[in-house]
Amino acid sequence: MRYVVQPLEGVLLLRKQPIGDSMYKNFRRLLVIYKGARGPFIVSQTFLAFSVLLNLAIVALNGTLVNDGVQQGNIEVVISTAVWMIGLTLIQTIFALGNSLYAVLFAEGTANFLRVGTYRKIQTLSFGNLDRFRTSDLLVRLTSDINNVKQAVLYGILLLFQAPFMIVMAVAMAIFLLPSLLWLMIVIMVVVSVVLFFLLRGVQQMFVARQQALDGVNNVLQEALAGVRVVKAFVRERFEMQRFAKVSNTWLDAALSPAYRMALFVPSLQLIVYTGTAALYYFGGQGVFGGTTNLGEIVVFSNVLSMVVGPMAMLAFIIPFLESGEASCGRVFEILDEEAEIQDRSTAKPVDVSNIKGRIVFENASFGYRDRAGKTTGLVLEKINLTIEPGQTIGFLGATGSGKSTLVNLIPRFYDVLEGKVTIDGINVCDLPQRQLHQIVGMALQESVLFSGTVRANILFSRPDLDDDEIVAAAQAADADSFVSRIPEQYDAPVSRRGTNFSGGQRQRLAIARALASRPPIVILDDSTSALDMATEARVQEAVQGLMSSSTKLYVAQRISTVLTADKIVLLEHGRQVAVGTHAELIQTSPLYREIYESQLGKLDEQPERIASPLAGQSMGGTA
Amino acid sequence: MSETTPKPVAKDPRRRKGGADSDERIELVPTLRRLLSYVVHRRARFILVIVLLITSVLLSALLPYLMGRAVDLIGARGDLDELARIALTITGAAALYWICAWQSNRNIQFLAQDALFRLRTELFDHIQTLSLNFYDRQPIGEIMSRATNDIDTIDNFFSRGLNQLLTATMTIVVIVTVMFILNVTLAVITLVTMPIMLGVALFMGRIAGPAFAQLQAKLSDANGFMEEALAGNKTILAYGQQRQSGDSLEDLSVGVRDTGAKAMLAALSVTPIVNVAQNSQQAIIALVGSIMAIQGEFGFGTVLTFITYSGQLQSPVQQLGQIYNTILQAAAGAARVFAILDEGPTVQDAPRAQDLQLKGGHVVFTDVDFSYVKGRKILRGNSFEALPGQKIGLCGPTGAGKSTIINILTRYYDVDSGTITIDGQNIATLSQASLRQQIGAVLQEAFLFSDTVMNNLKYAREGATDEECIAAAKEANAHDFIMQLPQGYDTMLTERGANLSQGQRQMLTIARAMVANPKMLILDEATSNVDTRTEKLIQEGLLRLMEGKTSFVIAHRLSTIRDSARILAIKDGVIVEQGTHEELMAHKGLYYDLYMTQFRVRPEAATG
Repeated sequence: MRYVVQPLEGVLLLRKQPIGDSMYKNFRRLLVIYKGARGPFIVSQTFLAFSVLLNLAIVALNGTLVNDGVQQGNIEVVISTAVWMIGLTLIQTIFALGNSLYAVLFAEGTANFLRVGTYRKIQTLSFGNLDRFRTSDLLVRLTSDINNVKQAVLYGILLLFQAPFMIVMAVAMAIFLLPSLLWLMIVIMVVVSVVLFFLLRGVQQMFVARQQALDGVNNVLQEALAGVRVVKAFVRERFEMQRFAKVSNTWLDAALSPAYRMALFVPSLQLIVYTGTAALYYFGGQGVFGGTTNLGEIVVFSNVLSMVVGPMAMLAFIIPFLESGEASCGRVFEILDEEAEIQDRSTAKPVDVSNIKGRIVFENASFGYRDRAGKTTGLVLEKINLTIEPGQTIGFLGATGSGKSTLVNLIPRFYDVLEGKVTIDGINVCDLPQRQLHQIVGMALQESVLFSGTVRANILFSRPDLDDDEIVAAAQAADADSFVSRIPEQYDAPVSRRGTNFSGGQRQRLAIARALASRPPIVILDDSTSALDMATEARVQEAVQGLMSSSTKLYVAQRISTVLTADKIVLLEHGRQVAVGTHAELIQTSPLYREIYESQLGKLDEQPERIASPLAGQSMGGTA
Repeated sequence: MSETTPKPVAKDPRRRKGGADSDERIELVPTLRRLLSYVVHRRARFILVIVLLITSVLLSALLPYLMGRAVDLIGARGDLDELARIALTITGAAALYWICAWQSNRNIQFLAQDALFRLRTELFDHIQTLSLNFYDRQPIGEIMSRATNDIDTIDNFFSRGLNQLLTATMTIVVIVTVMFILNVTLAVITLVTMPIMLGVALFMGRIAGPAFAQLQAKLSDANGFMEEALAGNKTILAYGQQRQSGDSLEDLSVGVRDTGAKAMLAALSVTPIVNVAQNSQQAIIALVGSIMAIQGEFGFGTVLTFITYSGQLQSPVQQLGQIYNTILQAAAGAARVFAILDEGPTVQDAPRAQDLQLKGGHVVFTDVDFSYVKGRKILRGNSFEALPGQKIGLCGPTGAGKSTIINILTRYYDVDSGTITIDGQNIATLSQASLRQQIGAVLQEAFLFSDTVMNNLKYAREGATDEECIAAAKEANAHDFIMQLPQGYDTMLTERGANLSQGQRQMLTIARAMVANPKMLILDEATSNVDTRTEKLIQEGLLRLMEGKTSFVIAHRLSTIRDSARILAIKDGVIVEQGTHEELMAHKGLYYDLYMTQFRVRPEAATG
């Protein structure tokens, strides 16, 4: 099957089509992807027109049946008419199926095009862009919004022109058969339009309100479930029940109002058809009695009359689909129009990754996040000056919001500095291709994410070329081998979606193993041991030290224990670097450091002497 | 109206994941009877609906008959006055039909939504009464899916399926009867060709059904992939896997496109192909009827009447063919919902449970054994004593059983053996509500509701006044930051308090615990740290909260429990050491090791 859209590169075309603020401007912009599909479109609509025409022709045969067959008593005509009816039905079906086929090809092709194109576009975005779109928001655009567009395309091909075709042909037939009753046909069409207008007016809003009420119910439910410990701790089950009854009641009302309106829909249309037919019989009967017309024509006319109503109702029904498709299309375009914050510079020069030593220098580096409009919202990091020698172990310490995580994110260029620069071995990170930069810096992010697959695939992740020994070594260093080797399938053990079959601490350890696997010259562990107990954390740190002795190792932490033995501790507060030094130095010179230390580990003077004195020869650092 | 809208003809019920009761073999009839009892609950309405339905079906059989009469009259060039009378009768009958059909639709919708309302409220209320072990077994997502997806399936059955079932059955009965009264030969011809049509419809449904099931599977794969990848997009970026990820999605998406096209095409083919069958059937009726009309048995009007009847029978017959699926799905959903409704709480108050009379808070654990799952002991033979007003610290590695000890103290779970007494009263004989009202808890996760700050504080105790809440907030050091929020105490907290910092959330939960004014206290220290100033404020608040009360503190930082009257060091479900900080340090056991690791000092290095 050929799906009637451009190859994927068409996404680029999509982006270069500024279209003014016209009706259905997003759909118009989307038309680019059907470039070259004009033929299939015309064929599909021709099929539709023929299918409508044949439907009417079959109805017209009823006239022949009555006039030439029954009333003349001619059995031969009756038989041949019946055969014709069946024959035309078969042909009509072929046209209808042909139209359906095109509708499906257009719709599914469009959905696939937008889904893949948008997803690939998201993959080009940077951390800054991703911060502004929430995951759930992106997912909604990739699923239900694209589905809305698909529905609109489907109904557009399938039904949009059905009613106009039907109306035109029905009027033509009325003129041809019974011009004296054309007015009746027109009156019925007008009445149907008016009734549809009033029946469907505001229904869309009712459905929206119903959805909101449903969200309300789900929110209360979700909260009561997620907060069950709180509910039970304060014995507020009864209160929750009342709260739920309230939103549930709102939902009941919100669900009933569109349901009540829709209850009128089919009966009302049937009423119009019945009344119209009664009028037709009376006025048509007059004509027959007066000899100006005949029974066959009335029978045909009455059939046409009831056939017109359906497509009109369908048209009224699909307009909301078109509108929500248009709005959804706009939301998808928002992603396609997003400019990636960080792109490789044209001057970026590849380097030999294996020669990188891992010397990191921050020179007057300042940074601030951007809002949706691209404006900087204030500095998160101010004039950071820091030199990290190859092989050193550095701890970054500070409270939430102090900027420590942001600081290390500047090294692999997840964000660009506003001022100053960050260099690795003297090369500005902005002058390195991102792909290489990500090979140089192995990072376990704050949120330990695993992907479905196997444990092995998660550790390998970016480096399918690593062998088993390297995997096991990385896992051992991350203290992951201890639990992986206890699973029957070991490294081939399945990881379920988002790693939910592993505990938080196990996920963190696997994420660390992933960062270590390729032995990058720079390793960053961004608060990635927070779910481990102290003993495990200490074990991991020691092992990492052994495995990665020549790599530069950066630990970001809130727990002071994590950074205690680093070669250098960088203390941050409100985006400023307030103190740098070893534990022994800082405990003497930095009041803030001492405050954090005492608040987490207890008063210095209450501690055993060996600990209170500067840690004797316990430093993890070696090569500095 | 033509039935061109594509619908997923049948979602394969097997695709649904069964949670606790993955055994999909359900007893259909009892489940359905129980499900229907929610609808029949309003008997008067239900009877009204049946009466309205019968009337409207009778009228819809009368109308084609009248129209046939009119055509015959025209064909016979009869009396214009009589034609006017028939036309007026048609209009009158149509108006009456309109009212009956509308009202029956409306009332069915009411019955359906009302039944759903009662079902979901009952489900929610019941879940509230269940013990924590229910929540341990069923992840939140699973329960949510019961309350949303399963209720949705039932909704589909109630508001569409039930209406179709009733209308279709009655339409078939009435029209078939009327056809036989009017003309036996044509009635037989219509009915003989009917199974052919039904067969075609069912056959098409059978093709489309699995195609949609396949599409659902592919779609959920692709959506699951995207959900996972988007949630972990920064990781993908950090490891430069964007292109690979895009390729994987493209493979999945193309699969969705291809199966989607097949499924949609199958669904869209149903109507035209069924139309062929229907039109052929009508052509046969027209053929035989016309021949009989020529032979003078009746006028052509009767032929038209029968053609209309055959059209009217089409969708009921088709619907009955498909309704079985809807019923099966609803029954499967209902069975899962009922499974929850039939589950009793595992922790129940004793028949004549007493309320806890808390005096000083003297807690004694004697030989307590506990297991979440039978045969896998989590706590073994634990005994300890907390004197009134004492602070008891609990520490130990992850998974040692610290939280379990405090969980059983307020009877979230009942012990396997051994006893727990508070001021001499065995907690097994006490009511759960009285235990939890008098023993406050500040939990690790600072959970807040999306409501105002004030309502979050009032949550702790029914009838708490604004003044009491503000006083508690001051005690907990939360008042100052609350006053700085845009609307002070009336500020709405977003989902789970996301618009507050973690430290602020903790202070609010402390204030909330103060509003409850408990006589004993349980603290599960949060793992993540806040800045030192906030940390101090929190510690101050906690100290005020614990003042003079027997309290149990689970510590992640040992400095918090250093001053405890007694520290319990727990390992593998057993209290291996108990004593003061100094005693345990001198003992050089588990506690000592834990303590020293904080300073990254290897125990042997420190000792030797």
